[in-house]
Amino acid sequence: MTAPNASEPAGTFYVKPAKIYPREAHGRFARLRVFAVLALLGLYYLTPWLDWGGRQAVLFDLPARKFYILGLAFWPQDFFFLALLLIIAAFSLFFFTALAGRLWCGYACPQTVWTETFMWIERWVEGDRGARMKLDKAPWDARKLRLKAGKHALWLLFAAWTGFTFVGFFTPIRELGVRLAGFALGPWELFWIVFYSFATWGNAGFMREQVCLYMCPYARFQSAMFDKNTLVISYDAERGEPRGSRKRGVDPRTRGLGDCIDCTLCVQVCPTGIDIRNGLQYQCIGCAACVDACDEVMDKIGSPRGLVRYTTENALLHHQPHVIRPRMLVYAALLLALTGGLVYAISVRTPLQLDVIRDRNALYRMTDDGLAENVYTLKILNMDEHPHRFALAVHGAPGMRLDAAADAIAVAAGEVLTLPVRVSADPQDLPAASSDIRFELRALDTPDLRTATTGRFLGPARR
Amino acid sequence: MTISKVQHAVSVLWPSFLLASAATVVLFTVFDPQAIAACMGIEHLERTAAYTVGFFVLWTMNLASSMLTLYFQRPVHVPVIVEPRDLDLD
Ligand code: SF4
Ligand code: SF4
Repeated sequence: MTAPNASEPAGTFYVKPAKIYPREAHGRFARLRVFAVLALLGLYYLTPWLDWGGRQAVLFDLPARKFYILGLAFWPQDFFFLALLLIIAAFSLFFFTALAGRLWCGYACPQTVWTETFMWIERWVEGDRGARMKLDKAPWDARKLRLKAGKHALWLLFAAWTGFTFVGFFTPIRELGVRLAGFALGPWELFWIVFYSFATWGNAGFMREQVCLYMCPYARFQSAMFDKNTLVISYDAERGEPRGSRKRGVDPRTRGLGDCIDCTLCVQVCPTGIDIRNGLQYQCIGCAACVDACDEVMDKIGSPRGLVRYTTENALLHHQPHVIRPRMLVYAALLLALTGGLVYAISVRTPLQLDVIRDRNALYRMTDDGLAENVYTLKILNMDEHPHRFALAVHGAPGMRLDAAADAIAVAAGEVLTLPVRVSADPQDLPAASSDIRFELRALDTPDLRTATTGRFLGPARR
Repeated sequence: MTISKVQHAVSVLWPSFLLASAATVVLFTVFDPQAIAACMGIEHLERTAAYTVGFFVLWTMNLASSMLTLYFQRPVHVPVIVEPRDLDLD
């Protein structure tokens, strides 16, 4: 049957888990998933081909250590934004899990999305559940070989395209395509395309529900975010039990039966091979296939839908359900604050950085004119998309002088300029042997593009 | 407690993979492999190569750590506690 090891005592799990042949479900949630899968796949496969201002719109250019997202260019120095983004993603997950259970798993998780697509291919080549089970049991003959080879060929092709697209997020995809067509891929590109394709093929073709059961960290801790008001998929035992088959048109109540006709369709459609009628189980990924299956059955026998449905524990216990509860408010508030923070931080971000490195070889030098001179190496990072000319100024002791031609420093877009400078000051004017010196950089063409960095200026000890 | 072979393999391979991915991101955000290579006198180093090798080195290290954890989880000998007994040896 479809439930692997359900009858086996815990501990004798050493046998390979029985293969699951999910039956296709039809209904509103199946349609919702098809929609979600198509939208997400479309996003994945098309995004790297979009252009923005003459370059790939979304490109995590690892070889060049720059991330482009639409009009923004991020540098390793902007790691903070990535961290913030990850925290926001985590809180969204908490929020939606507390609200409606494993929505992510059922509709948006890449594991679900690619498994679903691979199952479409499988169904198209090998047929529905019954046909697939028969084919697997059948001895190897020309037809079986043809079907299996065809399925794997299509799977591998799709997986290869997936791997290619994946690498296309990290290195410009058009050039990658040209190199691919000319068999001129670099060894590392080729390696990652193969690696990712292989992972896709294995995860979506073979591992499937086992990824959710054994590998997914979220599956393990999601129950901690559930409460009595979380929307989960549940079997209404009060209405369904006692289950049992019956003749068409027989009123179950006259037989002392509930609404469940024990057709096991809800089990057959389940991609993780569980029986939702046994209550909420951690294996349930919330795909709602059982809801669709049961609704169809209820329509056929003329009972109201919803024997298996999205509901909450409170609703099933006939308690007042609460959608708005402190936990939701806290998550929502945090989410809002973090998102607002991120948007604000990005909008005020200065795409300019100035690093000051003191010359390590000498503390200071006395010039012929009796001035104390310090040598620095400045690194100017123009993280903007345009070239700029900058003016540099120093502030510290009165009369501090900068030697370099510091009034029109040209830095190209996305460049790092290394600029050695000498600063000299009269020792009499220095407040201490070691004092602060402030370097100020401002763009001549864009007044609000400016930054400043403080360093140390050393001089002779004062008598 | 016994777990399935798949779960056994996964419990070693997978967490090390996840952590290696995260560590690779952090490591190479902070350090540019080309800059490090330049310090060591290596002229030409493809960043992609460094990222890939770095990732696999980290994965291997995490793998070793996960395997050791599993290994040390095995039950060990519990010492037998012997009651002291008066022996009249003379
Ligand atoms: S029990 Fe859970 S995983 Fe199985 S079909 Fe129902 S919703 Fe999907
Ligand atoms: S699909 Fe509905 S009627 Fe059929 S066994 Fe499942 S719960 Fe019962």
